[in-house]
Amino acid sequence: MNAVLSFVSRHFRHNRLSFCLGIAAALVPAISGLLLLGVAGWFITAAGVAGATGVFLNIFVPSAMIRALAILRTAGRYGERMLTHDATFRYLADLRTKLFAAMASRSLSGQRSGLLLNRLTIDISALDGVYLRLVVPFVVISTVSLAALAVWLSMPAIVFAAGAVCLGGWFGLAVHAVRSADKKIARRADAANEAMRLRATDMVAGRRDLAVFGGLEPVAETIRRADETQGAAEDLEDRRAVRLTGFSAVLGQIFVALMLVVVSLSVMANDMSPGLGIALVLAAIAVPEIIGSILPGLAKLPRIALAADRTNTLLAPSQSDVRLPGAQRTDNNHGAPVTGSILKFETVSFGYPGAERTVLENLSFELSEKQTLAIAGRSGCGKSTVAALASRMLVPGDGRILLNGQDLADVPEAELRSRVTVLSQRPHLFNDTVGANLRIANPTASDTELWIALAQAAIAQRISESPDGLDTVIGEGGLGLSGGEQRRIALARAFLTNPDLFILDEMTEGLDTATTIDVLERFFSFRGRAAVLMIAHKRIELEAAGSVLFLNQRKADLAAE
Amino acid sequence: MTSRGERGDKQSMAKGNTKRVRIPGASATTADAADGPIGVPDDACAKALRRAGLLLAFADLIWIAQAGLIAFAAALLLQSFLDPASADVSLESSVPVLAAGFGVIALALVRMVLQTVGMNAARRAARSVQSAARTRLLRAAVEVSPAAAFPSSGAFAAHLTEQVDLLGPYYQNYVPQMMRVKVVPLVIVVAVLPVSWIAALILLICGPLIPIFMALIGMRAKKASAHQQNELTRLSGTLLDRIRGLETLTLFGALDRTLESVDNAGERFRSGTMSVLKIAFLSSTVLELFSALGIAFAAVYIGFSLLGDISIGTWGTPLTYGGGLFVLLLAPEFFAPLRGFAAAYHDRAAGLAALESLASLEDSFPAPETSDAEKSEAVTFHVGGSGPTIRFEDVSIRFGERSVLDGLKLDIPPGQTLFLFGPSGSGKTTLIDCILGFHPPAGGAVTVGGQELTPAIAKQLRQSAMWLGQSPRLFHGSIKANLMRGAGPGETVGDDDLWAALRLAGAEGLVRGLPRGLGTQLGEDGFGLSVGEIRRIALARAAVRKSAKLLLADEPTAGLDDETAADVISGLQMLCAGRTAVIATHNPAILALPGQKIDLARLAGMKMMETAG
Repeated sequence: MNAVLSFVSRHFRHNRLSFCLGIAAALVPAISGLLLLGVAGWFITAAGVAGATGVFLNIFVPSAMIRALAILRTAGRYGERMLTHDATFRYLADLRTKLFAAMASRSLSGQRSGLLLNRLTIDISALDGVYLRLVVPFVVISTVSLAALAVWLSMPAIVFAAGAVCLGGWFGLAVHAVRSADKKIARRADAANEAMRLRATDMVAGRRDLAVFGGLEPVAETIRRADETQGAAEDLEDRRAVRLTGFSAVLGQIFVALMLVVVSLSVMANDMSPGLGIALVLAAIAVPEIIGSILPGLAKLPRIALAADRTNTLLAPSQSDVRLPGAQRTDNNHGAPVTGSILKFETVSFGYPGAERTVLENLSFELSEKQTLAIAGRSGCGKSTVAALASRMLVPGDGRILLNGQDLADVPEAELRSRVTVLSQRPHLFNDTVGANLRIANPTASDTELWIALAQAAIAQRISESPDGLDTVIGEGGLGLSGGEQRRIALARAFLTNPDLFILDEMTEGLDTATTIDVLERFFSFRGRAAVLMIAHKRIELEAAGSVLFLNQRKADLAAE
Repeated sequence: MTSRGERGDKQSMAKGNTKRVRIPGASATTADAADGPIGVPDDACAKALRRAGLLLAFADLIWIAQAGLIAFAAALLLQSFLDPASADVSLESSVPVLAAGFGVIALALVRMVLQTVGMNAARRAARSVQSAARTRLLRAAVEVSPAAAFPSSGAFAAHLTEQVDLLGPYYQNYVPQMMRVKVVPLVIVVAVLPVSWIAALILLICGPLIPIFMALIGMRAKKASAHQQNELTRLSGTLLDRIRGLETLTLFGALDRTLESVDNAGERFRSGTMSVLKIAFLSSTVLELFSALGIAFAAVYIGFSLLGDISIGTWGTPLTYGGGLFVLLLAPEFFAPLRGFAAAYHDRAAGLAALESLASLEDSFPAPETSDAEKSEAVTFHVGGSGPTIRFEDVSIRFGERSVLDGLKLDIPPGQTLFLFGPSGSGKTTLIDCILGFHPPAGGAVTVGGQELTPAIAKQLRQSAMWLGQSPRLFHGSIKANLMRGAGPGETVGDDDLWAALRLAGAEGLVRGLPRGLGTQLGEDGFGLSVGEIRRIALARAAVRKSAKLLLADEPTAGLDDETAADVISGLQMLCAGRTAVIATHNPAILALPGQKIDLARLAGMKMMETAG
């Protein structure tokens, strides 16, 4: 619940005016609806009295009022919907960007991208209920209730008592609904749905493997059970919603019946005119609909609260944030003399928490300007860990890493990224134009510079064949590129940077020999004075390096080629 | 609306006389009957949905009785006011009013019960349709040969979850609402008729006007909402793309710049949503307007009638106060089901789209592997002491028009190893798939241990073979759970056995370095392994099946560095001992091992090239 409240306060602060305007707009149709029925009830009763007694009745004012209220109610409803939805979606669009920024600012490498996407889509759309179905109805209902209580106070005590009791009943129902909102059920339904998706993906993608190892039926059975779990959880949620609606509806009818009885008694006791009495009864008929406007929100509260919780967790600054920019730290390295040393590992160890074995132990090496060091070793020896440590995607468990003589942990993020360029085994190319993909490396690069980089990576011709040139979209639904061509685009992207250190993490993996040689040659003719740390196992790559560090001996021994 | 959608629509609301013809004896579980389109309720379900709709409609109609009671009590009240002589606040005189009050409450309770029962029934019916659709998709995935082309795993999973989810609201909301809209307004007109035929006439005229207005607006709404669906897909695509590229963005320090494009995509989606909603709100405003004007006109007409200014439409007798109030109370209820129907209309659009999408997914499924008759056949697969003999007798395999193997004769004696080589596309994988029974031969026969590979035998054989595929796949779950899949039927496997298998596959150090050893969770959610690492774990998974007498390996060293490959080769060598083995490879180091070698490229014409072991 706290998460929902803090969501509300963030929304309020986002745009106070539209937040309040939406609520004010929602009051118009609610109040005019009440008045419409009330005036109509009064009018026909007064007409009935006048018709029977021949007393003069001004018919034009009330009939004009009725028509005006009917139109006001309709127009008000339209205005309310437009204003409240606009306020909601403006805030949610803003929130989505903020959530994405929050995701980007912390290490989420272990998280499934599909789950993160759900945070940005499904959770965000669940949260539209907070303002539309909780906040606005709550304020409207509170206002109407207080106004009604004030009106009833000027009437016979039994009328006030009947109204107060029923409003109290609704209040109790709402409190119960909030208290009994069980996030666990929503979470269970979500988990079952996610399990179905994962298992189904596994089952179809690994049909051969399953046919031999364990069979497909057990997996299908697991999915069916997950379907049942989801069904049972949703059943609980739906039953809750149906119960809530049912109780509120009965309460509404009790309210009308009670009003009818107390009004009749008051009129018989000559405490009230019949016109006013019937107006009260008819207005009472409009009340349940107004109160009912909060029920869908209350029914969905568990899901809303769950989404708000997750959103809050993501937005809250976390302590485990490994990419905290080191600029604020004060124990800055005392400007050690830089003598061409670009990267230095000092007895660095790394192990995953909880693992039996460390991945790296006491690794030391130094890499200077224009030097190329290859890290070699069998798969699983920790080669890629070295690359991740050097680019601060992981932090060492022990020892320290110096970049240009400064502790890597203290280098500000922006500086680190401009000094170090990583070319990885699986470069991600965005489903965007060639130009946009390249400008990720250098936003200010001119088109000419992009073409030069593409030419250096020997991919310029392929791009120029496309009529859109740099505006050609690559990826799904766009220009289909082979693995080698994608690697060349990534290479061109790297050519747009001007770092002190290049880290090549099995850059040529999966490329044929001719392409490997070409890509390597092009890279080394470009690298300039930069140091190169190369994670490699191909002979061609090792031959291109000035020195090779074999990791399988589990100690750092530098073998000069 | 598509033809398939219409079919689904009619099916679900079919009247008694348009029922589908079904095979006699077909049970209520739609999964058993693959005859109808997927995702469409069977007769029992469709009936349950209609019944639920009727219950809801009946619950609405209770309001007529309640309105009558209220009008009656109000009339009494007015009478007591106009005739003060009889007015004294005695218990006696308030009895009718109290009775009316209690009547309203009692009816409200009945109404709540009916609504609860109706809504629960609708939900249960919708739920069973969803479960049946899921069961049917899963059954197709199980029955199809594992080597046959199948929709992508992502598409299958999305249909199994999201698309089937969309059927729920459609059946649960739209179908019963449809029933309500058919019944309630008409009955209300009939109830109003005796009081004032002119009021009934006004309602009758207003009623059909609404669908016309709605249809006009609905056409625009449909277009806008389809557009918005595309916009949503695009937004999700953009977001997923950026999430997947987060590491790249971090490494280039380009996160801030990406925010702008995320913001733009979100803004485009927002303005699209608002333009769809504008139309949707307009259509609900039309309904609101009718409902509000209904009250206004009824009130004014009744008021003037009571004053005696108007005296038409009431069958000659003047309109009574109670009668007038009764009409006023019923007028808004005439429009209420229409509003519910409009709200559920969106579910319908989504549901019909899902039905269509599910049907086209099902159409893309290949034919199932086994017929029901063969499935019940009881068979056992026997293996000899040192591995079965594998024999290919004039085996031909065709994929559509393309012939992959043609008249292949092959004989692998027990306990021997056969190495297959040749360029890709020469049929190495196909041959291994044949032994596993993934491709039933178009001609000739494959026998293993003297038994012909019927689907049932093949199924047993798969459970008792060591197999390492070309691109092995591990499953979500721990490393241990993945390795345990290797355990043959009835085999008990302890952690020591798992470690021994990992050692044999050169993967012991790798697993010991993982955060939780054997308990490390695999998959995108947990720990990412490289291709070489996956291959070694998969080899260990095969090695766990110690009781197997057959070893099949397809490119076991692809993508491995020399040292790791050497580990895998020595592991394979050990596994080959005492087993009949078939290994497809390019790797000269493997081909240097003792055994029979066959170049599949040169095999055209059944020439076998024997090389001395």
